[in-house]
Amino acid sequence: MLRCLITLLVLCAAPLQAAELVYRLEPRQIAAGTWLLEGSTDNFSEQNGGDIVNVAFIETSAGVVLIDTGPSRRYGEALRQAIGKVSDKPLVRVLLTHHHPDHVLGNQAFSDVPIAALAGTRELLAEQGDAMAENMYRLVGDWMRGTEVVLPTETLEEGVLEIGDHRLRLLALGGHTGADLAIFDETTGVLFAGDLVFHERALTTPNSPGLDVWLNDLERLQALPWKLVVPGHGPVAGDAAPFAQMRDYLGWLDGLLRDSAARGAEMTEVIAAPIPERFARVSLSRYELTRTVTHLYPRYEREQLPRVDSPAP
Amino acid sequence: MRRTLLGLLFLPCLVLAATSEDPLKSSMWDFHRQRLLGTEPVLFDERVLLEVPPFAEDARQVPIRVDASALAGQVVRMVAWAELNPIPHIFTFHPHSPQVRPMLAIRIRVEQATALRAAVLTRDGVWHVGSARIEAAGGGCTAPSVVRSEPGWEQRLGQVHGARFPRGEVSRLRLRVDHPMDNGLTAGIPEFFLNQAELRDASGKALATLELFPAVAENPTIGLEVGGQEATRLWLRDNNGNEFEANL
Repeated sequence: MLRCLITLLVLCAAPLQAAELVYRLEPRQIAAGTWLLEGSTDNFSEQNGGDIVNVAFIETSAGVVLIDTGPSRRYGEALRQAIGKVSDKPLVRVLLTHHHPDHVLGNQAFSDVPIAALAGTRELLAEQGDAMAENMYRLVGDWMRGTEVVLPTETLEEGVLEIGDHRLRLLALGGHTGADLAIFDETTGVLFAGDLVFHERALTTPNSPGLDVWLNDLERLQALPWKLVVPGHGPVAGDAAPFAQMRDYLGWLDGLLRDSAARGAEMTEVIAAPIPERFARVSLSRYELTRTVTHLYPRYEREQLPRVDSPAP
Repeated sequence: MRRTLLGLLFLPCLVLAATSEDPLKSSMWDFHRQRLLGTEPVLFDERVLLEVPPFAEDARQVPIRVDASALAGQVVRMVAWAELNPIPHIFTFHPHSPQVRPMLAIRIRVEQATALRAAVLTRDGVWHVGSARIEAAGGGCTAPSVVRSEPGWEQRLGQVHGARFPRGEVSRLRLRVDHPMDNGLTAGIPEFFLNQAELRDASGKALATLELFPAVAENPTIGLEVGGQEATRLWLRDNNGNEFEANL
């Protein structure tokens, strides 16, 4: 009996041991010279190695421009191989949309290429990068092995960046982290929105300066003459659905936090608030609500709590 | 097979609202019980709600809410603790007046994933215990002080921001006190924390007292409920003898 059990245990453990830490990255062409590596809309896990993010690249006449580098060194290396299978042009520039770990921890694989980001992104990554990388090790485990923070080497500003035959309009925004780069490729009409747009995946707020800032950013982005929008997470769209969903979701969050604070709700009660049925398709909404309440509710509370101390009579 | 049978035998316990079996089966239960509750009988009781998020997004500011409204009128004392914290004890709350509801919300520090407990002593001498678990990356009790990194915190020490929110028959009192709540676990910074609070009526009579411990987060955020609309006054004192007062 005991022997049977041991055999069973060994059998069960074998596939675990053999599981390879391999990112299967298949670039999908979404526009002329434009490829997307679409991540899942799940949370970080030991199963997905943090491949939950959208990374894209553009093949211009001057070489390849990469937008974000993924969650780990191993991902970055796989990404570089995947790009090589599609294009034989050299990599000329990496553009980072913002400093969050799933977008920048693949930088090591591109350390021979200029890595460009907004000044604020560099600052935030220098300040928070190591702690975020540490947390990623905790969340996805061995996939992160050898991953270290590599800071951007070039600073971007709002304006037009011409690379070969592509004209990229850069927008310096901030609703998601305080320093968020959106890239509108005027040549193809593709808008790379970074994490200012989440689609069918709940948005995250650990560094957000405020939901109102975010809503203003969305207005600017939506007004651009884009034909295709690439969200930081979730499926690409040729229509305004991701914008509609973002506005709806941000509006709901803002209203929930404001009303709750005005009613004197405790944080635990807001975390347990019902999530409207129309967001049922939005992955991880309950999980992210718990996080967002922690990040943002204290600011809404402050507006409701005037100073009341007074010396003893 | 034998285990399945045993499991079936235990199943009926799960459907009872109150049991004497620790639902979390924690090895730390007895230790804290002896230290904090003494020898009175204990019931694990679903009527004591202990609301905590499933995980600590910020281990330095974890919201918890204890609500024993189902036992209203019988509550003598409420005690809360985090089993695996270096300083487990969070608060002891004494609602002296029937006007004060057995509800307390507060934000705490969590050093690692842990069981949390709220024990409510009723007049018949029985402790009713609510339990919860929280996941945490941890470090909330040993992280560097946020308050002390903010310029001018000494000038703000003891400032109270608060308001009264009418909720049907009761009013909820919510407040935030500026205080670093140093727990002595950061090198070179001795314990410096609010350890006493009292809610008083207009005549100065104590409606409730609250003992606080440095498992409470920096700049404590506290929620209470009182019946009626009468103005109340909150008195606070820290372990250095500083006293603060506020109208709520």
